[in-house]
Amino acid sequence: MKTPYEILEVAEHATDIDIKRAYLQKVKLNPPDHDHEKFQQIYNAYETIKNKTNREQYALFNFPEADFDALLEHAFSTAQPSSISADHFEQLLRASIGDKTFLIGGSKKQAHE
Amino acid sequence: MIKESWALPINDTVKIKNYLARLTAQQLDEQFPDLAGLLGLLIITGKISYQEMLPKDCIFIRHLSFAQEALSAYRNNRLEDIEPALKKLPFRSAFRDFRTVMKAALLMPESIEQAQALLAGIPADSPYHRAAALLLALMHSGSQLAIDLFRLSPPQIRLVEAVKNFNQKQIELLEALIKQKSHLSDKVKFDLALQYRELFGDHAKNYCLAALSTYPDGQRDFIRHFGPMDDFEAWRLKALSCERNGNFHDAEYYWQQGISVLKTRGVEGASRIALIMRHIAAHQEAPEERMSWLIDSLEHDPDDRETFIKILQYLEQHGQETDTYKEWLNKSIRQFPDDIELLGLAIKAAERDQAYTKAAQYARALLKVDPVNTFAKKVLLSSHLAHAGTLIKSRKFDLAEEEIRQAEQITIGKSSRTQAQLMRGFLAFVAEDEKRGAGLIADAVQKRVNGLVCAHFFAAMEALLLDCQIVPVLQALPQPETDYYLSEQEITQLIGLIHQYADDNSATPALLHEALVKVQAIINHSIRQQDYSEELLLSLCQCLGRIRHFELLDACLKTAQPSWIKPIWNYYRVYAEVKGDAGKCSEINFLRLQISLENARQEIDQRAVARIGKFLDQYHEAHNMIESSSADDIEAGCDNPLHRLFGHLPDDLYDQLEAKLIEISENNPQDRTLKMLAVDYLANDVARMESLCKDPDALFAFLLLKASDELGFNIDVNAADVIECFGKKADSKPASLFSFFKSISESL
Repeated sequence: MKTPYEILEVAEHATDIDIKRAYLQKVKLNPPDHDHEKFQQIYNAYETIKNKTNREQYALFNFPEADFDALLEHAFSTAQPSSISADHFEQLLRASIGDKTFLIGGSKKQAHE
Repeated sequence: MIKESWALPINDTVKIKNYLARLTAQQLDEQFPDLAGLLGLLIITGKISYQEMLPKDCIFIRHLSFAQEALSAYRNNRLEDIEPALKKLPFRSAFRDFRTVMKAALLMPESIEQAQALLAGIPADSPYHRAAALLLALMHSGSQLAIDLFRLSPPQIRLVEAVKNFNQKQIELLEALIKQKSHLSDKVKFDLALQYRELFGDHAKNYCLAALSTYPDGQRDFIRHFGPMDDFEAWRLKALSCERNGNFHDAEYYWQQGISVLKTRGVEGASRIALIMRHIAAHQEAPEERMSWLIDSLEHDPDDRETFIKILQYLEQHGQETDTYKEWLNKSIRQFPDDIELLGLAIKAAERDQAYTKAAQYARALLKVDPVNTFAKKVLLSSHLAHAGTLIKSRKFDLAEEEIRQAEQITIGKSSRTQAQLMRGFLAFVAEDEKRGAGLIADAVQKRVNGLVCAHFFAAMEALLLDCQIVPVLQALPQPETDYYLSEQEITQLIGLIHQYADDNSATPALLHEALVKVQAIINHSIRQQDYSEELLLSLCQCLGRIRHFELLDACLKTAQPSWIKPIWNYYRVYAEVKGDAGKCSEINFLRLQISLENARQEIDQRAVARIGKFLDQYHEAHNMIESSSADDIEAGCDNPLHRLFGHLPDDLYDQLEAKLIEISENNPQDRTLKMLAVDYLANDVARMESLCKDPDALFAFLLLKASDELGFNIDVNAADVIECFGKKADSKPASLFSFFKSISESL
């Protein structure tokens, strides 16, 4: 689960102004009438860290989630392929064929019969 | 034409050759689509290469060349040629799913969602289904990737690792995950986070810290890898963990431990302490506890406005007139002198104390911050006019003139101008020319209210509040005709006016009654003659009940139709009968009200429930007071007849007599008991006994006498004493023998 800082893509030591700027930018890209859920997520994130008191409250009372999935996400996030080369594509097609693949002749009906 | 069906492992080249050589174009293109699909995949991946054996004129061969054209363009990085080649493959082509897989591959990594949607369209029995799964795995990351890899073969996994360009550490982690399958215990996860923490960065520490709540055994390893845990952080996590499990009691303990640590950390610690205290306050069930935490929090951070507001709201709900409330209000204003909400509260508090000068000061302060604040303007206007009224009463006319002038400068609306005009009229009435003043007053009054009754009542009230004569003021107003009736609208307005004056502490019920005298006759005959609605009459009853005007209330109740059966009518009937004194309510009315209360509850009539409930509480209080005052009276030697007769008896003896009394009552019906008592104590004068025993206390006394006789106790009381005690008032007491026997039988 992403933290409000991650949602707004700001540093944890960002100022009120930085956070507001990041929030407005995000809202511009995700207006409420476009993707309401996304907008709500951005809005909630902003409300959570918009000023010093709120940030302190978040730091004090936010229970850190032991989110192993997020941990793995982080571990493998740097390994996203930029694109699939033709070579990899052909390897992928070849790897999809097992040694025990059977070439079946005849219509399906005949085969079942 | 092939008649039989066959399934050959793709490594069996001899047989495959044999069978493929016998295939016709029609079979390949139309009759065996599954064979064509797989054959296409095998040929383009180079697994088999017998395409020259297939019929040259078949569509399959043509489509194969399109697929190879697309692949060639891909291989030579001529991406613009791929799409035209793929477009040549129609929907029914054996290479349809090849086209989909290739398109999805080309969409990566920019349009993952679109690619996933394309791959989702490949059927499970397609030869390209496995390729689609591999491609999907390439699009996933994190735990989803691990799940995908569980289902793949080692060469496929290696391909994914290669395409994703994983480093050795990542590959090791993936393999560790695959070994665990999908069963990852808290311990395994914790250990993996530690073992591969260079992959996870700072997240590893945060994860392990959080995971300690479900895997506390990991604490030693945590300290070994990340060093000792911050004291406060340890308490904080414990507190949050308890809160997560709904255990706020223990959480509070851990927070308090955390506060002890923060107390050593200066300013930063103080602000965190205040936040924690407010957090604890929010979880308190008892409002007093909540307030205590909030008040304490201000010692560490006195700049939190919300906390001041919460404290004031609490104190307002629990006795706003207290000095504590005022003290906190003053503190709040000192802390936030320009706060509109706090200034508003200060004005209201000053008004409640009738400290109008103070209210005006706050109103001026509020208007400096918010120059168009209507509330503050109204307060200032009222303050000037109230002050002008006081000055008129003390005959300081010049100063009163100045106050009125200042009031006239406040612009709120038509109503404010009329109020100032009315006060100017009274100033003229008292200080200058009575007639001119009365004219001005009459003019202002008629602007202020509609209807002659309302005008007369309003003018009378205003005159009374300023200690002015009523008659000349009322004479200046148009006089109502003898057949004048109040319309429903005017009744509603009159009710509003009465409530308004009743809300104002300066108008006592006596003043209201005096002002109503002038219009009482018209109200009375209007109620009798007009067919007012039930709701309107109820509102009028409520208003008259509030100012305890029982004469008009009676008039309303007499007009109330018998068909109106709402429980509230019963309440007002009883309320009027006892003139608002619940202590005077008879037992039968008490029972009636209890039934009405139950009916009101069933009808969900909250207004009636509240009124009847309050009245019954007052009834109980009054009766408890009577009982307790009776007890006091015994000590003071007062003349309660039963205590006078039997007060000297010891408690244990009295209890025995009472038990015998119940026994006698139980064994003898009412008539027989009276006859028996008459025979024993009144020379068989049954009529006299019945008369005496209309008072249940007298009956009780005779029965106690009878009980003592039967038990053979000498109690120093005889029949003559009882007759002397109750004889004189026998005729004036209500007949309540039935209730006595009823209460005796109930006590059994």
